[in-house]
Amino acid sequence: MMKMKLLPLAICLASAPAFALEQGEYRLNYFGSVGITHLGGEDQGRSYGVSGQTTDSWRGDQLSKFGAQLTYGLTDTLGVTLQATAKPLQDEWQANLEWAYLSWQANDQLMVRAGRLRSPVYMYSESLDVGFSYPWLRLPDEVYSQVQLTNYEGADVVYTLPLSYGSVTFQVAAGQAKNRDYFAYDDLFSIDYGKLFGGNVSLATNDYGTFRVGYVEADISTTIDGVVNAFGTPTYRQLLELKKDKGKFTSIGYQYDNGTWLTANEWTTRVTENDNNASIDSFYLMGGRRFGDFLAHVTYAQLDENEGRQNSWTLGLNYNIAPTVVLKTEYKRVDTSGGYDGVFVRGKQELYENELFERSGGLAGVPARNYDGDIISVGVDFVF
Amino acid sequence: MKQSVRLLSAALGLALAGLAQAEVAVIVNPGAAKAPSQAEVANIFLGKDKSMKGYDQAGWNATKEAFYTKVTSKNEAQLKSYWSGLVFTGKGQPLPSVGGDADVVAKVAGEADAIGYVDAAAVNDSVKVLFTLP
Repeated sequence: MMKMKLLPLAICLASAPAFALEQGEYRLNYFGSVGITHLGGEDQGRSYGVSGQTTDSWRGDQLSKFGAQLTYGLTDTLGVTLQATAKPLQDEWQANLEWAYLSWQANDQLMVRAGRLRSPVYMYSESLDVGFSYPWLRLPDEVYSQVQLTNYEGADVVYTLPLSYGSVTFQVAAGQAKNRDYFAYDDLFSIDYGKLFGGNVSLATNDYGTFRVGYVEADISTTIDGVVNAFGTPTYRQLLELKKDKGKFTSIGYQYDNGTWLTANEWTTRVTENDNNASIDSFYLMGGRRFGDFLAHVTYAQLDENEGRQNSWTLGLNYNIAPTVVLKTEYKRVDTSGGYDGVFVRGKQELYENELFERSGGLAGVPARNYDGDIISVGVDFVF
Repeated sequence: MKQSVRLLSAALGLALAGLAQAEVAVIVNPGAAKAPSQAEVANIFLGKDKSMKGYDQAGWNATKEAFYTKVTSKNEAQLKSYWSGLVFTGKGQPLPSVGGDADVVAKVAGEADAIGYVDAAAVNDSVKVLFTLP
């Protein structure tokens, strides 16, 4: 008899709203990547990549990372999420707190989050470190090197509306990111993003893929400078100074996956006021086909700036070892034109020599050249 | 002769299909306030429509496979990748899951806003069948 009475109570307790974790409930999820990558075909010591960690020696630091995410229900509608990652950066392991926020599920459709959030810049921004969530081992560098900021302090609102053919999600974000690292000319600089504001719309259809349009702007302050050797004399040079200059970034993306065929495409444009550059445009087009547990894919990517163009072809073959573990192999051929460095790393001294050559009409310095390379990457992405 | 071979292989194909997967029934509480369409059921089980409480089946079985491929057009790998996308972007958590057909029937029978999917053979009077998938 006692049991009979308790049963409805238990059911009552269990029937909290489905959209958030119940009070006291928690989830722990892990993700990671272990991979090595190598740049061939360039001169010795040349590096490549958004943090310059792809070189002519086989290195694991560009691709390897680990992360853990904890979500805890404070009440049935209020939750806390923490995500920490460990990444080798510039020869040392760095722990980063990428997510640390409170979320409030106001109703079935509306969620408000505040704290440290991932900046919603690209299509794959919010799962940037979760290699398992995208087909490549290396996200197309041409696009994914454009904005180095990965998180900010602020708040966002996520509104999801179910539709008869899928769903549409609106996200609006505002905040700031102070004193972050910015990698340029083979060195790290401090950068501030003030008055960060962003919004995006994502339309997910059941049969025709997902379309996303996003925009982010911020007031950027940074000083990129250093000392170069000018005719034997150490000379201070300032390469770029931004004082609350507005940076604007727009991205349009499309993804489709029917289980056999898949495609992922993104086009971005970036404008920074007072950086002596017109817009920097980039895009990639990717298509792939699954053969059982294998996925073969090909990607074309392009990056255009005042100085010139970088383009690349990537061929990849993935193998699903288990439903949440993927072995990936990738070959990427990169070329630049117009004497442009693209995502290759050009040091301050080199830049100086190149500029000197141009200004002196070839009397001194070294002419700017094009770069090319073959990048091979092998690794495993997993979540659990 | 050709005709009969064709008929035979068709019959064999049907028989094999029948063996491979039993019918899946999408069930709700008899007192459910609404009767969602197949597209709405897909949204509920993909975490996009939170107006009803979906109960998933733990692990991976034939019923689950049939349900997800037919209703959401996603196979196991796609489904896992879909949820990891939501989990790690902080936009959702997978639905609560219970042990198997009998547990899903018990949950759905006990909660007015619950919805689940089970092997059609496991359905009893305590729940209402919304629709069945062949």
